Amino acid sequence: MKSILSHVNLRKPIERWCFAGNECVNMQLRYLCSSAGSGSDLILDRVIALAKNYDKINASKVTETADFQKDLNLDSLDRVELIMALEEEFSVEIPDEKADKLSCCADVAKYIASAKTDQKIVEKP
Amino acid sequence: MSLTSSAAHLARRAAQRERVRILYRRALKDTLNWAVHRHLFYGDAANLRERFEQHRHVEDLDTIDRMIEDGEATYNKWRHPDPYIVPWAPGGSKFTRNPTPPEGIEIVYNFGREDND
Repeated sequence: MKSILSHVNLRKPIERWCFAGNECVNMQLRYLCSSAGSGSDLILDRVIALAKNYDKINASKVTETADFQKDLNLDSLDRVELIMALEEEFSVEIPDEKADKLSCCADVAKYIASAKTDQKIVEKP
Repeated sequence: MSLTSSAAHLARRAAQRERVRILYRRALKDTLNWAVHRHLFYGDAANLRERFEQHRHVEDLDTIDRMIEDGEATYNKWRHPDPYIVPWAPGGSKFTRNPTPPEGIEIVYNFGREDND
């Protein structure tokens, strides 16, 4: 149950309420899946966490708008590696020419959010 | 005269940088395609990176062009015949399977009960 909820991105109070009344969980989950949840914050958090884990980046310098090249001192090949890691994390394909233009975490999160809605992917548990 | 030549030089450098970036990106993806296990991929990726890093300080434009062409030839020779494609992307196994219903169509979950029951 916990793992399902982590995918659906429920907000805290709803989560608690869901656990309280166990039979309405399914209904509630379906409802929340069909409504377009605010996933962009979650995406941004995951992007930042992944960037912090990348071993060539100084984790304390990572912020939403820190430029990969200027602020985080990545060269172009490092950026390629980072973008590829992000593609794998979110199961999206970023075209070659687009990949170069993503220069900060917020950019990447925005692109991934738009790609996800374009493909109309609903993340399944 | 020198201004135009240096501008041409810079433009050529930028084009080369772009080509190297795309070559590295494709080669890295292909490395992942060839690796049967994740832990094997890390070593292969480090080797690939090293092969690029060797020539980091080459300055001569024609040499760089020749090396890029060599690299692209090697990449094309060893390209994976059946690369991984993200399932939802074009060419993937789930592409256009189970598309979401169009706007305005919804399922009413009343569990078989009719309105007038």
